[in-house]
Amino acid sequence: MLALYRLLLQLYPAGYRHEYEDEMIAVFQEARACTEANEPFVRAAFCFREIYGLLRGALHERVRFSADSTPFAARRFTMRSEFRFPKSTMLLMLIILGGVILAIEKAKSIAASLPHTNPLLPPIHPLPPTFAQAVGLMFAVVYAGAIVGWVVLFALRRSGLHRLEDMDTSASQK
Amino acid sequence: MNALPLTEPVLLILLSLAELPRHGYSILQDVESISGGRVRLSTGTLYGALRRLLEDGWIEQFEEEESPRGRRAYRLTAAGRRNLLLEVDRMKHLTKLASFRVARKEI
Repeated sequence: MLALYRLLLQLYPAGYRHEYEDEMIAVFQEARACTEANEPFVRAAFCFREIYGLLRGALHERVRFSADSTPFAARRFTMRSEFRFPKSTMLLMLIILGGVILAIEKAKSIAASLPHTNPLLPPIHPLPPTFAQAVGLMFAVVYAGAIVGWVVLFALRRSGLHRLEDMDTSASQK
Repeated sequence: MNALPLTEPVLLILLSLAELPRHGYSILQDVESISGGRVRLSTGTLYGALRRLLEDGWIEQFEEEESPRGRRAYRLTAAGRRNLLLEVDRMKHLTKLASFRVARKEI
């Protein structure tokens, strides 16, 4: 049971373990020693209570720890002076680039394997768009434009640029 | 831990420490005793509550001089005692109100 207790303590954040691990183990051992003489049902209830308490406590501390380390409000409204470019973004960009290059190479190999003129297929002529297609296309373009505009405005707001409008520069000019 | 009311385990821990400073296992025993065996805290629950109370300045920890291992004990701070009294007053008011309302209904 002590091994399991130690194992479950690993679920807590390191800072919490550093502060309380030894003390919790000592208290647990004292409490367990007191239940040794009791009936098996009481001992089982004790074990269940301890396991449940550790799991619940670890979850609570993890949530608190993550909330403290990345405070949403601060992250949302605090302006950053430095340029941030996470390494994970570089990795994702490299993966996407690799995927695009692979797709191009695959397309080239497929194109090379096919004859230039396929006698089984008639030549493809683009059909003139119907009214419904034209309306759909127009909506798609408008929505795409709106999304791009919203993204630009959101980026500007995140950058804090809009706050420059509120600055009073008249005092410095005088 | 600014918000009252307190949860029952936290209230019992504070009541336990209100009498005298205690170490972890002593708190566990005392909480079980003062609740008539109804509340049995696990070590996970106890230390979660102690951590929050320490962080909010309601209790403080110190090393017991008499203990051979120099184990840590906990005691109420002045702010903790004040907040506990506020909670007790709130509960008294609630109890009085409940008694009054229930008695009036019976009439």
